[in-house]
Amino acid sequence: MKAEYLKPFIESITEVFESMLGSPVKVERIGIPDKSSEKPEIIGLIGLSGSAQGIVAVKLPENTALALISRMVGADFNSIDSSVIDGVGELVNIIAGNAKAKFTGHMMSLSLPTVVRGSIYKLKSLEDFIWIAVFFESEFGKFSMEVSFKPAKTWEKESANAGVNSR
Amino acid sequence: MQVLIVDDSQIMRRIVTGALNKIGVQKTIEASDGAEAVRTVSENNNIGLVLMDWNMPNMTGLEALKKIRANGKKVPIIMVTTEAEKEKVIEAIKSGANDYLIKPFSPKDIQAKLEKFLKNN
Repeated sequence: MKAEYLKPFIESITEVFESMLGSPVKVERIGIPDKSSEKPEIIGLIGLSGSAQGIVAVKLPENTALALISRMVGADFNSIDSSVIDGVGELVNIIAGNAKAKFTGHMMSLSLPTVVRGSIYKLKSLEDFIWIAVFFESEFGKFSMEVSFKPAKTWEKESANAGVNSR
Repeated sequence: MQVLIVDDSQIMRRIVTGALNKIGVQKTIEASDGAEAVRTVSENNNIGLVLMDWNMPNMTGLEALKKIRANGKKVPIIMVTTEAEKEKVIEAIKSGANDYLIKPFSPKDIQAKLEKFLKNN
């Protein structure tokens, strides 16, 4: 996966935190995903399809999810319930939708978000796309976003042809 | 005046309700997908504004917007969406949407948009 594909997702998460949560995020590091945590996490997943395909996963430790959704809604959540799960799904939906709009020249659709809660899991895409993780720090705690993304082969061919023709 | 909030996310409905309450709109009703929104609008003549999410199961916001207009209902509809592309917004406006609001938005963004809309209508 090319590093340039990460930029829209990082910009999106930064904008979503600043506008919806009134709080900045800082990229701590970018690398391969960590092994699954022993502590339970809430994972929001959403698929992208069309001229580019991929999956975006936002992985939140439970305490981070509670603090973040409490701020988003303006009410205190002290335990993981259906509202928190719903909020994480909406959050990943907004992050992916905002990132999608930044990929100029691509026509993509979003799947409906899925939220998973657990501690022992492995994210795997059907075509063995490479996953890259971005680790963030925020006032709500640390969290990460994992992205597996690539343009469709047909789009790459059309794009290459267009480049040749325009010379 | 009642405001109908249409969103499959219960949390988003709660966020939007909170923003409306803060600008003095207390009467809100909810629908969790486009089909429910179409039914609610056809059965309730007191709805003065619809805030319609785009991506929903069963029936999308755009499909619901088209059905509501096809049913002859002229209630103002604001599309609330993450679909920031111009073409989609133009399609919504051509299909009868009165305005749109792009997620992510801050509570102040949504309040400003709704205050402006309610003032002009």
